[in-house]
Amino acid sequence: MSSRSDFRAGLRDVLPVLLAIMPFGIVYGALAVDAGLSVLEACGLSLTIYAGASQLVALQMVGLGAPLWVVLFALTMVNLRHLLYSASVGRHLGAFSWWQKALAFCFLVDPVFGAAETRVLTHRLSPTYYFAFAMALYGGWQVATLIGATLGGFIGDPAALGLDFILPVYFLTMVMEFRHRAGFYPVAAISAVASIAVYALIGPPWHVTLGALAGLGYAALFPPKGRSQDGGAA
Amino acid sequence: MSEIWWIVLLGGGLTYLTRSGGHLVLSRFERVPPRLAAALNAVPAAVLTTLVAPVLLTGDWPERVAIVLSLFLALRLPLIATVALGTAMVALARAAGL
Repeated sequence: MSSRSDFRAGLRDVLPVLLAIMPFGIVYGALAVDAGLSVLEACGLSLTIYAGASQLVALQMVGLGAPLWVVLFALTMVNLRHLLYSASVGRHLGAFSWWQKALAFCFLVDPVFGAAETRVLTHRLSPTYYFAFAMALYGGWQVATLIGATLGGFIGDPAALGLDFILPVYFLTMVMEFRHRAGFYPVAAISAVASIAVYALIGPPWHVTLGALAGLGYAALFPPKGRSQDGGAA
Repeated sequence: MSEIWWIVLLGGGLTYLTRSGGHLVLSRFERVPPRLAAALNAVPAAVLTTLVAPVLLTGDWPERVAIVLSLFLALRLPLIATVALGTAMVALARAAGL
């Protein structure tokens, strides 16, 4: 596949995600300024941390007057799932040079992980596809933050359009793309039940890490029989 | 320097460590043990699911119904169509005051 068509495919695939995350980024920007951050500070968090949930957690904890190390600890806890993303996606970066790999991990957020893993079901993951998708998403997040931080008060309620619901549906459809992988249904079911239980008993963000570990534990204890996909060395 | 700028710097660094750390650890293995490989192959099903499932707990009834219907739509329709229909269901329910 030519790099031009890879580029187009990356942009085509990122479009619905952009639609979903931009309202979220605008809301974050507005909340940040509301919490007393300057526009520059609000954008700074988006530029380096670049993770909606983690940024909101940081805002909330700063608002509560938490000391720096507590904020950093909470942020890292919310980010732990990225360890799993990089372990899994790292196996598909054969076409990337070392600096492309190093750069690729900067942008490894939830939708990029989902898109990369979905892509390798049918294609070789090329740097062109990856960076077209990832850079467009990163740029969109920065623009959205800036819009929210500067115009926050003027923007209507995104919930009325159901925009806050795009991300859950998007992740759901992304999960379903993997349904033909061996052992999919038990893993997804166990993670779903465990994450709901942890959410109810302990609360977020622990439901992500602990819920996922339940599913992964099952997969490790009862590896699917037959050909294990992408099971080679990293 | 304000606390926020320390969070920007250190938080950004820590985030990059989690985003690259899994790969750095895994690339030290000469060969990935089969059970670890099985767990890694399960990462999409396990992690992405936890981002969705709590909607069944925290969502209102239109959201719960929409997420379950979307699950079945996803078996048949392309990704973008499922996302559009699922979101439209919730928007319509809210417009109707449900």
